[in-house]
Amino acid sequence: MTSNKGSREETVDVLVIGAGASGAAATAWLSEAGFKVKCLEQGFWQDPSKYASTSPDYEFEALTNWSSDPNKRQRDEDYPINVSDSPVSPVMFNGVGGSTILWSAHTPRFHPSDFSVKSLDGVADDWPLSYEDLEEYYDLNDEVMGCSGINGDPANPPRSPRQMPPLPLGSDGMRLIDAFEELGWHWWPSDSYINSQRYGEGRDACNFCGHNNMGCYQRAKSSTDLNYWPRALKSGAEIETGARVRRITTDKSGTATGADYIDSKGNERHQSARSVIMAANGVGTPRLLLNSSSDSHPDGLSNSSGLVGKNLMFHPFAMVTGVFPENMKTWRGPLSNFAMSQEFYETDESRGFVRGYTYQFQRSLGPAWIANGGFTDPIPWGEDHHTELSKRFGSMMGLAVIGEDLPEIHNTVDLDPELTDSDGIPAPRINYTVSKNSRDQLDHAIENARKVFETAGATDIYVDPLMRQSGWHLMGTARMGNDPVDSVVDKWGQSHDVDNLFIVDGSVFVTGAAVNPTPTIQALALRTADYIVSHRQDLKG
Amino acid sequence: MTININVDENVMTAILDRLIPAVDNLPSAGQMGFTSEIVRLAGQQDRFKAIFNNAMHLFESHNPEFTSLASAEQDDALRRFEAESPDLFGALRTISYIVYYKDPKVHERIGWDGRTPQPDGNKMEPWDESVLENIRKREPFWRKA
Ligand SMILES: Cc1cc2nc3c(=O)[nH]c(=O)nc-3n(C[C@H](O)[C@H](O)[C@H](O)COP(=O)(O)OP(=O)(O)OC[C@H]3O[C@@H](n4cnc5c(N)ncnc54)[C@H](O)[C@@H]3O)c2cc1C
Ligand code: SF4
Repeated sequence: MTSNKGSREETVDVLVIGAGASGAAATAWLSEAGFKVKCLEQGFWQDPSKYASTSPDYEFEALTNWSSDPNKRQRDEDYPINVSDSPVSPVMFNGVGGSTILWSAHTPRFHPSDFSVKSLDGVADDWPLSYEDLEEYYDLNDEVMGCSGINGDPANPPRSPRQMPPLPLGSDGMRLIDAFEELGWHWWPSDSYINSQRYGEGRDACNFCGHNNMGCYQRAKSSTDLNYWPRALKSGAEIETGARVRRITTDKSGTATGADYIDSKGNERHQSARSVIMAANGVGTPRLLLNSSSDSHPDGLSNSSGLVGKNLMFHPFAMVTGVFPENMKTWRGPLSNFAMSQEFYETDESRGFVRGYTYQFQRSLGPAWIANGGFTDPIPWGEDHHTELSKRFGSMMGLAVIGEDLPEIHNTVDLDPELTDSDGIPAPRINYTVSKNSRDQLDHAIENARKVFETAGATDIYVDPLMRQSGWHLMGTARMGNDPVDSVVDKWGQSHDVDNLFIVDGSVFVTGAAVNPTPTIQALALRTADYIVSHRQDLKG
Repeated sequence: MTININVDENVMTAILDRLIPAVDNLPSAGQMGFTSEIVRLAGQQDRFKAIFNNAMHLFESHNPEFTSLASAEQDDALRRFEAESPDLFGALRTISYIVYYKDPKVHERIGWDGRTPQPDGNKMEPWDESVLENIRKREPFWRKA
């Protein structure tokens, strides 16, 4: 390994760490406003024409080289995660576009009540901002990412017109929806960042292939390599791929000065910057902050509150699957993007828990996926194999339960004392338990999902009470707040301790709500970038 | 890291025969000649290859006479392995199912067109707004903050 640490490199206004959902949004906004922005990303650009969905081995690829679990994928750019003390494993993708390369792109918004859980329900903390503060940024983000959906959902405030009509529900989807209607329960077509028609440069309509979680060959599923990044590059932003950040550097006064990183050739380098934005996600960001301790920040960067890496939230995730008597060809259409129910979203204390949950409706995939269990147990081997396969194939629908996980100080990301990535940087270690409130929510949701499937005429019902590979929502590990004693960043995402350090990923969440988080993550990233433009022109060189 | 796959293909064939038996006009999976494809595919990722090798070596070392056992005894041996080493057994089952369900003859039997998901995908029907008729009647019920 060689080093250029001593050599002079150009100082940028803003150094962004991570090129995923949030890093891309912040980079595009700032570079369009004339800031000199550089992003360091440990992964690489992806070529949609090479996604595994075109390979005859796609079923194998989905479990190995294209798994969303970095411990299973084990590409050079991945870092390992110690999950031995967690029933839930974080999943993600490391590359330009970040986890949006593999995500489902189901994109509901937080409810207004989600920002005030302390005032309304006496639990956790209120956010230092409201739904109204974020609304214009949600709208801006929808426009860039491209949202299919329809206004008028009675469970949510009215919102701006969606860019495209909803994705069609299909006869399989209607089977579940009819049951919700019979029970008198809410449902609504999902907002999805998936094109129901052509939208965005070079982005086709979805062709219902089903396999969102391997990257989208059609570019119909929005990922930030397809929209924010082209805009950012056009306005002069720079991205260095294969650049793995080891630590954020600071000077004697504790001000951020840039980052030490290892480039794609294995050279140790330093990038100097007038400010740093962390966008490495709810696991990657606390990992780097904790690995960036110095004399002025002995417990890790921006950690005077001691809350970096604490209050990890995942959204505990249960899956209930029903098998129907008919083959409805449920492999057609995006796996998880047609409808949701928020009947049980808001607190009703008679249920025995606070806060609530969303049902995200699910289809299923091809025969090997079904045989290997899909969202249930694998099909038995031996004599019963063929009968069981023909019962389930094309006939399974699911209800995924996304429960609101309240922040708890003992749910943590810290540095593993032994495990490292391939560059010797300490790996993150997860310590997480599901709280009683979350468990009660999930159990309530499982019972109600059974009612849905019974009403819909399912012949068999399978329950996974807590999916392990479901840590796709990484939140809370550098929370925002007004008081530096009990938060890491302020309401603009600016560190309380280091005034030229910002965090824009899910780490800043105060609470997790009961919806997929990415529109909220990206809206917050745009809001932070907008704040820098309007209040921190001093960061321009 | 490069790991060579070094398994007794006769054992893998016998395992396949028990995991996925004959059905209708199709012989059991081992007799359909999937073993070499399993070995090839297992080699496509170092992590999986290592698990696959471990699984086969452990199974072979505990069951040196597997290929000459009667079917019921072979099933017992597999069930023991499944109970004692669920992850390793799971790797063998997973790859066996993946390879079996890649085969055009199997696709034909189960009524599946068997195309890769892309580039052709499936047909997307148009959006039909009339499905919202009932739910649109519901009053807003989100909670104000
Ligand atoms: C399978 C799957 C399905 C999902 N489905 C949905 C969904 O339907 N709806 C939804 O809202 N959300 C979904 N998510 C979650 C969503 O993808 C994330 O919330 C979102 O991408 C987070 O954005 P981010 O910018 O915080 O981090 P990411 O998008 O994860 O990006 C972080 C980037 O930082 C880089 N990085 C980390 N550490 C370093 C380092 N040391 N040096 C350099 N670079 C570094 C990483 O390589 C990565 O590219 C899903 C996620 C997965 C994996
Ligand atoms: S289902 Fe649609 S959005 Fe998803 S990967 Fe296939 S084409 Fe892309």
